[in-house]
Amino acid sequence: MDQTDSFPVKLYVYDLSRGMARQLSAVMLGKHLDGIWHTAVVVHGKEYFFVGEGINSCLPGGTPLGEPDSVVDLGITEVPAEIFMEYLTSLAESTYSSNKYNLFEHNCNTFSNEVAQFLTGKKIPSYITDLPSEVLSTPFGQALRPLLDSININPGGSNITGQR
Amino acid sequence: MADQGAADPGNNNNNKAEDSEGTIIKVTVKTPKDKEEIAIAEDASVTQFKEEISRRFKAKQDQLVLIFAGKILKDGDSLSQHGIKDGLTVHLVIKTAQKAGEGASAAASSSTSTPAASSSTSSPGTNPSSTAGSTGSAPPSTQTPNLLTGFGDLSSLAGLGMGSSNFMELQQQMQRQLMSNPEMLSQIMENPLVQNMMSNPDLMRQMIMANPQMQTLMERNPEISHMLNNPELMRQTMELARNPAMMQEMMRNQDRALSNLESIPGGYNALRRMYTDIQEPMFSAAREQFGSNPFSALGGGSDSGVQPSRTENREPLPNPWSPPNSSNPPESGGGTTGSTSTTGGTTPSVSNPLGINPGSLGNGMFNSPGMQSLLQQISENPQLMQNMLSAPYMRSMMQSLSQNPELASQVLMNNPLFAGNPQLQEQFRSQLPVFLQQMQNPEALSVMTNPRAMQALMQIQQGLQTLQTEAPGLMPSLMPGGMPGMPGGMPGMPGGMPGGMPGGMPGMPGGMPGGMPGGIPGIPTGGAMPTENPASSPSSAATNPAQQQLMQQMLQMFAGGGGGGVGGGGGGGTATTQTPEMRFQSQLDQLNAMGFINREANLQALIATGGDINAAIERLLGSQPS
Repeated sequence: MDQTDSFPVKLYVYDLSRGMARQLSAVMLGKHLDGIWHTAVVVHGKEYFFVGEGINSCLPGGTPLGEPDSVVDLGITEVPAEIFMEYLTSLAESTYSSNKYNLFEHNCNTFSNEVAQFLTGKKIPSYITDLPSEVLSTPFGQALRPLLDSININPGGSNITGQR
Repeated sequence: MADQGAADPGNNNNNKAEDSEGTIIKVTVKTPKDKEEIAIAEDASVTQFKEEISRRFKAKQDQLVLIFAGKILKDGDSLSQHGIKDGLTVHLVIKTAQKAGEGASAAASSSTSTPAASSSTSSPGTNPSSTAGSTGSAPPSTQTPNLLTGFGDLSSLAGLGMGSSNFMELQQQMQRQLMSNPEMLSQIMENPLVQNMMSNPDLMRQMIMANPQMQTLMERNPEISHMLNNPELMRQTMELARNPAMMQEMMRNQDRALSNLESIPGGYNALRRMYTDIQEPMFSAAREQFGSNPFSALGGGSDSGVQPSRTENREPLPNPWSPPNSSNPPESGGGTTGSTSTTGGTTPSVSNPLGINPGSLGNGMFNSPGMQSLLQQISENPQLMQNMLSAPYMRSMMQSLSQNPELASQVLMNNPLFAGNPQLQEQFRSQLPVFLQQMQNPEALSVMTNPRAMQALMQIQQGLQTLQTEAPGLMPSLMPGGMPGMPGGMPGMPGGMPGGMPGGMPGMPGGMPGGMPGGIPGIPTGGAMPTENPASSPSSAATNPAQQQLMQQMLQMFAGGGGGGVGGGGGGGTATTQTPEMRFQSQLDQLNAMGFINREANLQALIATGGDINAAIERLLGSQPS
């Protein structure tokens, strides 16, 4: 009775700085960063990401960021769409509601990581999840921290799971 | 189960952990909301595991969905089969209820679909409406599934990313899209399917009445139910809904009628009452659910929540030509309580919100061509400024910066533009608090959004420029000093600051709209410059040093501005103490190469245009025939 389908899971990675980080990060931070990464998980034909407003979804590549800078294949999952939506809804009520967004510690990449693990058991590449600590380890990052804490990223999409 | 029975016949199946022969492992079971550690036998089956889990999480076994490494754990499997070992994490999703299935087939398939996630996903309003939609007694059954598939198709056409497995999500998405995009609504209205539905007043009434908020509203105001029950009226309404132009016309008539009402003594209060009692709750109820109130979405497509569509939509399509203190026109419709006119902020005092001392406007910085074109851009597009300034991150950025001058100065110091010029740093550091204050000042901001103010500033600056070319004799009497360095550096600095920050900050650039980095370097400088002057001039008011500063600034302006980083936060052009000749050396050479051999004229032209070769050439050509 093997009726499980498998669905591919991909990680879309966007460089929010559009290349500027690669050029300017060494100058500004004293440390080289290849990009400021924003990620989203693409599964079941939709792209899911966590932003200031909450968990959001849209068609893959449908945010104003356009096409991803790179795509990481996370493997396949057997989790069907229904279960996944339930899971997301629960997340949206608990740990990923809109007020929980924190640019450094609980951001889109945190969400992508968690969802990736749920779906496939794998984590997302570490260079993405290490980014906040990299930045915070520079004096510049520390100085900017209070400012950045107040910023929420909202790159688009308007399908908030579990909100309103 | 087999080994259980064999190993311990006396024990019934309830005791999982002990009666198997394998070792006990501790597996973490993680739900979206919490996690628990469950001790289970290594070779237990998934069913046993689920039993244990159901006890711990207080859920039924068939509600449990276990996922490990991307695989769903089925009852017949064993834990070891999936490689579940001690210390690993298994994910759990607890299904909340029977779901009806995916997408548009949801309503069609099961009428008893109680999307039980309703408590978490959407407003309760949509729930009954979905059931109403699918089980509506009056409408022919063919219509209702069509309704949804109709919307579903439309939506996918519109690229809304439909196909969600949850009908309510679908509805919500629809609604949100509609709220934000009135054009889409009219597109939808044109869909014959929708029109069909709309022309069936019974169905509409069903849908409207199914909304519980609507129901409470109706109880409180029997007039509404009256209205809904009157088929003639409904039909008319539907007609209206279909035809937005007619709708607006009617709205306008209504508004006029209402405004007449207002003039009757006591009329205003009556209107107000009417609005708050009826309209407000109705609209808020309506907003929860698409289709229950065509008025709200169609009547002008207002996007400010409680904006009553009966009044003129005073949410201004921003009018750059009206004076920023656009008082609401006296013949406003009733219900002014709800409307908020938000054109670019407070009424800036016609006199000088920035305290710009006209005498000290030696803003050399303004002279650079980059700055000029920027200013032009701004005055042509006040929206740009407004948008940028009102962007929440901008606000919060300004706020944090002003609250924490340390932080700001640090940021500045790190800016490569400043790196080479400690003088500048000092100056800027001292000016920082004032600068930031000014940036916070809403009046300052509103001046920046006021295109006429910007234009005036530009004019002043142009005047100064002309003055400088006509009367260069002023130059020798001025001494370059510390100050000029500052105004010169200013453009670079604040320009560099927001320009630089995005590069270094995770996420920030993402928040910035597209053309911003071009705009930002200029704007804070624009704001900064005028604010610098009052900052500096009061401090040395009415004394000779003040005058000298004035002169210095004028010199600054003569020298063609600081030249640094305007319009891009680029290179550290802070050397303002060179003579114009030196500064324009390369341009002079170019002009020479082009055949303009009159060095003096070239220099004059270059000074006048601030180093802009093309403009200088035009000037030269223009002056030749004479």
